[in-house]
Amino acid sequence: MGITIAVHSSKGGSGKTSFAINLAFAYVSEGKNVCLVDADLKAPSLFNYMFPDSERWLNDVLEGRCGIRDAILEVEDTNTLPGSLCVGYCNPEIESVREMSGKDRKWQAKALKNIMNAKKELFSSGTDVLIIDTGPGVDFTSVNAIAAADYVVMVTKPDKSHQKYMEQVIEGIYIPLTKPYGVIMNKCHSNSPMSISGVNESGVPVLASIPCLCDVAIRGDTEVLTISEPDHPFSKAVFTVVGAIDECLSGE
Amino acid sequence: MTIDNSNEEIVRLLKEISGKLDRILMQGSSNIEPENGIFEVLDVMTLLTLPDHLRETATSLFELGSATAEDLAKKTHKERAVESNYLNQLVRMGHVVKNRSGRKVYFSIGEGLGK
Repeated sequence: MGITIAVHSSKGGSGKTSFAINLAFAYVSEGKNVCLVDADLKAPSLFNYMFPDSERWLNDVLEGRCGIRDAILEVEDTNTLPGSLCVGYCNPEIESVREMSGKDRKWQAKALKNIMNAKKELFSSGTDVLIIDTGPGVDFTSVNAIAAADYVVMVTKPDKSHQKYMEQVIEGIYIPLTKPYGVIMNKCHSNSPMSISGVNESGVPVLASIPCLCDVAIRGDTEVLTISEPDHPFSKAVFTVVGAIDECLSGE
Repeated sequence: MTIDNSNEEIVRLLKEISGKLDRILMQGSSNIEPENGIFEVLDVMTLLTLPDHLRETATSLFELGSATAEDLAKKTHKERAVESNYLNQLVRMGHVVKNRSGRKVYFSIGEGLGK
């Protein structure tokens, strides 16, 4: 049985999508068959990166119009790597985003069921790791993804607004749903008292603290650092998280 | 009224009281006021408002899809009778439906049945 990881953030702009992409490739480089899906229905972003174009969307899976295998594409650039990668996107057309924004609770309940079915379909066809790049904050689509996950990686920034909301999301969502989780402090500055790894004062497990590095943002659109530069501090942090997730889930 | 009829009436009243208690429990754990006293659908936000024991059962049922009380008990490491009780509470709340297949009773998350 495979594992499902939701990459989440309490607020936007934390570097969640970059982290999700690098996490996916880190698993691929370790020989895993990975499926990376963009579940940010209101602000899709994964299609902007270096992946192939698609005309099939996760929206159709959530609507129950097709199975997940019909809505994902294999990334052929991973042929030289030990594992494989498939990607799935949300429809970025504004009409679709608007339509998704208007969905009611009944639709969201069915969407969660369809996500659970998608997991089963993927794992039964050889996927080892499903990574869901969620929308930020606490809306239906992001909480649905968290509910479907075996582990939640929260990517956050070490400023007060991110920190305060992070604790609320952990207390109000992750813990009630009994999801194991770990936090990535991204874009840290050396003089920030919150830029630490370990367990912080609130008891929150911080898996890694990543310095604020301009080259991560600049190179992130065209290359995957965990592949092109595995010894980069950002890449090392990602591999640390892979180890922490494996340790956590294998101990259950 | 015969003894059998009296017993049936007592069972009916007990079920009615149990259902009302479930609803009081739900309203006590949430500020959301359900329409007609019943939540029509178990979405993830409603899931978060459930008491801990029912939330664990409902979350496990989401993961299993369709399951018997025994399947749930294996996943949650509780007694089968306890899970059966929790599942039936969720049925009375309208969140879960149950179907009989042969001698087994399968539970699954409802789709807005409101009953």
